[in-house]
Amino acid sequence: MKTYEQTKSREMFLRATRVIPGGVYGHLGPAEGCFMPVHSYPLFSSRAKGPYFWDVDGNRFIDYMCAYGPNILGYGDPDVDAAALEQLKEGDCVTAPSPKMVELAELLVDTVAMADWAFFCKNGGDTTSFAVMIARAATGRDKVVLTRGGYHGVAPWTQKLGHPGITEEDVANNLSVEFGDIAALEHVFEENKGRIACFLSTPYHHPVMEDNRLPPEDYWRKVRELCTRHGVVLAIDDVRCGFRLDVEGSDKHYGFKADLECFCKAIGNGWSISALCGVDSLKEAAGSVMYTGSYWLSAAPIAAAVACVGKLRSIDSARVCTEKGRRLTQGLVDAGRRHGFDLVVSGEPAMWFMRMADDWSGEIHQAWVAECVRRGVFFVNHHNLFINAALTDEDIAYTLDVASEAFAVVANSPVAAQSKGR
Amino acid sequence: MDQFTMARVNVFALLRCLEELPAYDEEARNIADGRRETIQFSVGRVGKARLAIGGGALRFLPSAGRCSILLWFPKAENLNAMFAGTGNPVPLKGFTKLGYLKGPFTRLTERLAHYLKTTPELLHDANYRKANAALSLCAAAYASVEVGNNDRFGKLNAARMADGELRIAAVGGPELGLHVEAGHLRCTKGSSARPRARMEFADLESAGAMLRGEIDSYTAIGAGKLVLGGYVPLLDNLNKILGIVPRYLR
Repeated sequence: MKTYEQTKSREMFLRATRVIPGGVYGHLGPAEGCFMPVHSYPLFSSRAKGPYFWDVDGNRFIDYMCAYGPNILGYGDPDVDAAALEQLKEGDCVTAPSPKMVELAELLVDTVAMADWAFFCKNGGDTTSFAVMIARAATGRDKVVLTRGGYHGVAPWTQKLGHPGITEEDVANNLSVEFGDIAALEHVFEENKGRIACFLSTPYHHPVMEDNRLPPEDYWRKVRELCTRHGVVLAIDDVRCGFRLDVEGSDKHYGFKADLECFCKAIGNGWSISALCGVDSLKEAAGSVMYTGSYWLSAAPIAAAVACVGKLRSIDSARVCTEKGRRLTQGLVDAGRRHGFDLVVSGEPAMWFMRMADDWSGEIHQAWVAECVRRGVFFVNHHNLFINAALTDEDIAYTLDVASEAFAVVANSPVAAQSKGR
Repeated sequence: MDQFTMARVNVFALLRCLEELPAYDEEARNIADGRRETIQFSVGRVGKARLAIGGGALRFLPSAGRCSILLWFPKAENLNAMFAGTGNPVPLKGFTKLGYLKGPFTRLTERLAHYLKTTPELLHDANYRKANAALSLCAAAYASVEVGNNDRFGKLNAARMADGELRIAAVGGPELGLHVEAGHLRCTKGSSARPRARMEFADLESAGAMLRGEIDSYTAIGAGKLVLGGYVPLLDNLNKILGIVPRYLR
């Protein structure tokens, strides 16, 4: 197979670094550890359609990052984009909101099992911060329990002491437990009786750099019971999983009912919108918190979300993505085995995490992923990946061919011999 | 910034850098070829270390032991004052060698400062740029150990590092191994063939440019001047520690 060059991407990146801190910042940038070695990765795209994007050098990639989650129906889905463009003609950011906002709230209340109301923002982090504020407003308590390694955005309270720009006060009210450890959670609740406002967690544990963990048997039922007993608001960060595991919400998927549920990413298929859904008992507290933004009520992304959620329901996106993910990941594992590699897959098939076994430094995995990227299959090193519904059987077959060739290249490279063992 | 960590950086990072100086500086070579002296620095609760001069080399010894001159500093602040040029040491041994301290030893520290504190004019000289890059890389690596082990926020980040070795190197320049074990850091010259993570500059010029702030780390990474590889939590948390280091080296 032909391997790609990214000359224009490099040039654009250097141009960007002159005027933009970091060139490409945050999780999409090359310095966050997901793009190693950097020279194998495209850094700028020129266009995207369906399951693909093209970089500025004209190379096509089957995209398994899906813009880090938002692309669930395929880039530029005609139904979603038509709804947004139609709304744009009518008005987008206007002094008074569009009735579309009410329509979307009604749709979410009808779709998401736990939802009695919905509130719209722009990013996932807007909703997690709002969830914590609502919990504090409702309970009059200050502490928040989080799971170690869980990601809830970039607001100061979600970050770690010792990281640039973070003060002691920013994280003073955070308590942490291991995901899945019900005894530890109970202990923290007992030790901080009457002080915990909220337990905020992803529905399953999907941190970077480590195997993703599904909830242990009966875990969420026990968490639900514990939160209710202690008067703690149970908030689920469904920003990444939302609509990929279950269109009715990931709490429904795992058999429990959250008090607050944060959505973003897949809700608008790439249009900028997030939503917090809640139960009726927290509606007044939600209304009491002053929380808004200049573009949060803009109508075009809301119209896109109406179309997107409707389509996710009609095609049963979660089932589709899970089935495709299952086939793909099994194929990847088999391809690895044929070349002597033990590819370890964890998490949910629609947004799986993978790493190489017996890879102390992670460099074998990095080398294999880089060889896939150079052949047009866009994976990243140490973050979970995503399936979108537009992915075809041919795309999966092509991906497996690429993966196999990449395994062969790595098997014959010095990195496999050098990096194995300690 | 705390005085304890500052004193650790001054002794265990900057004095250690003197070992590299003769490779780049003729005056340092002459001093290394001259009279044999071993200066011990004893600093309150901070620690003890020696600088052995002579036999054609400068050797840093991170422990107490035989010495010809013993300098005692009751507190970290006293040592830091000496490094800032606002205080004097108390010699407990080697009273007759104050001239050596004010002469050759002071010249060594001045020569190190010459290479670490750049001016635009000095940077026109290619040899100077090379020395500045190599010494700055060593200073940053050695200081990161002290910041990771002692600074309050540095310790938090060090505790988040996984065990293993992280190679810090520049092609044509220093190669160092930063070893992490249970959140404790130490730095060796040279590194193993199988580090768990790599932070490698394409050349000394790139290392110098980044350490001098002429290019930022993002540009260096994107342009392939700084290659990162291996276990990300080692790299990521070292990066956080390196972000604190300039407060102590300023």
